[in-house]
Amino acid sequence: MDAKIRQMINKTVAEVFETMFFTFLTPLAARPNEEEWGHDRPYIRASIGYSGPLVGEFHFYFPRRLARELTVNFLSTEAVEDRQILDTAAEVANMAVGSLLGKWDSEGECALGIPVSAMLEDFTPAEIVSESGLCVFNTGSGCLWVVYREG
Amino acid sequence: MAFNILIADDSTTMRAVVKKTVEMAGVPVNEFYEAANGREALDILADSWIDVILSDINMPVMGGMELLRAVRSNKDYMNIPLVFITTESSEARMSEAKKYGVSGYIKKPFVPETIKSILYEVLEKAYDSKIDASHASEREENMDF
Repeated sequence: MDAKIRQMINKTVAEVFETMFFTFLTPLAARPNEEEWGHDRPYIRASIGYSGPLVGEFHFYFPRRLARELTVNFLSTEAVEDRQILDTAAEVANMAVGSLLGKWDSEGECALGIPVSAMLEDFTPAEIVSESGLCVFNTGSGCLWVVYREG
Repeated sequence: MAFNILIADDSTTMRAVVKKTVEMAGVPVNEFYEAANGREALDILADSWIDVILSDINMPVMGGMELLRAVRSNKDYMNIPLVFITTESSEARMSEAKKYGVSGYIKKPFVPETIKSILYEVLEKAYDSKIDASHASEREENMDF
């Protein structure tokens, strides 16, 4: 992935997390090894695409404990349900990719899709670790994995 | 005066956060109404008195831009302020929204202060214009005599 695009993704995702979810992200230069994420199950995936002159999709993979923490911060309550956690994960994807698209598509010609999220009981990051458009962030509550696929 | 506020967003958590933020901002609220898309928002408008609409753009079934056009083309709702709270921030999209008569634009991610300042500005402006409109109708009634 182009270094400029990676930098933009890192900056935009971090901004969304800090502003709306009071969570600070540290982009990781090197992909973490399995010892660092092996115990993080299940995961939640939130996906969103866009189409028009630019076409692409993003997939956000959150350890459940991270998605739960974001939801608690977002709603200001400890009592959160799984449906709210899934909804918050989808909203993260919506905000981050919507913000990115605002920068990449200043003419507003692209259409942002509707985000979808799902609980992945058997997923491990080993499935995406070789993706070329992978960005990984340390959050303090596990790693956030973001996969960008262009076209 | 306390306001009836309609929040249109397909995310239930986002609706909850917007509600909480509006309350924190100290806006006097009579009642909140919630819709998951533009169609549901129009159904609520048909049945309830709404003072201001806070809407996302990107929603299934009926998006915010369609909702804005429907509101502005209906004589019963056309003066209700409508504010977009959305991730869609391109200049072109904002110009389109202005063309159709959006009252304000709040970009996600937002801080509570942004909602507060824009909502107050929009409500104060709408309140003034409502007074003007009632004066205008009084003048028209007087002219009939």
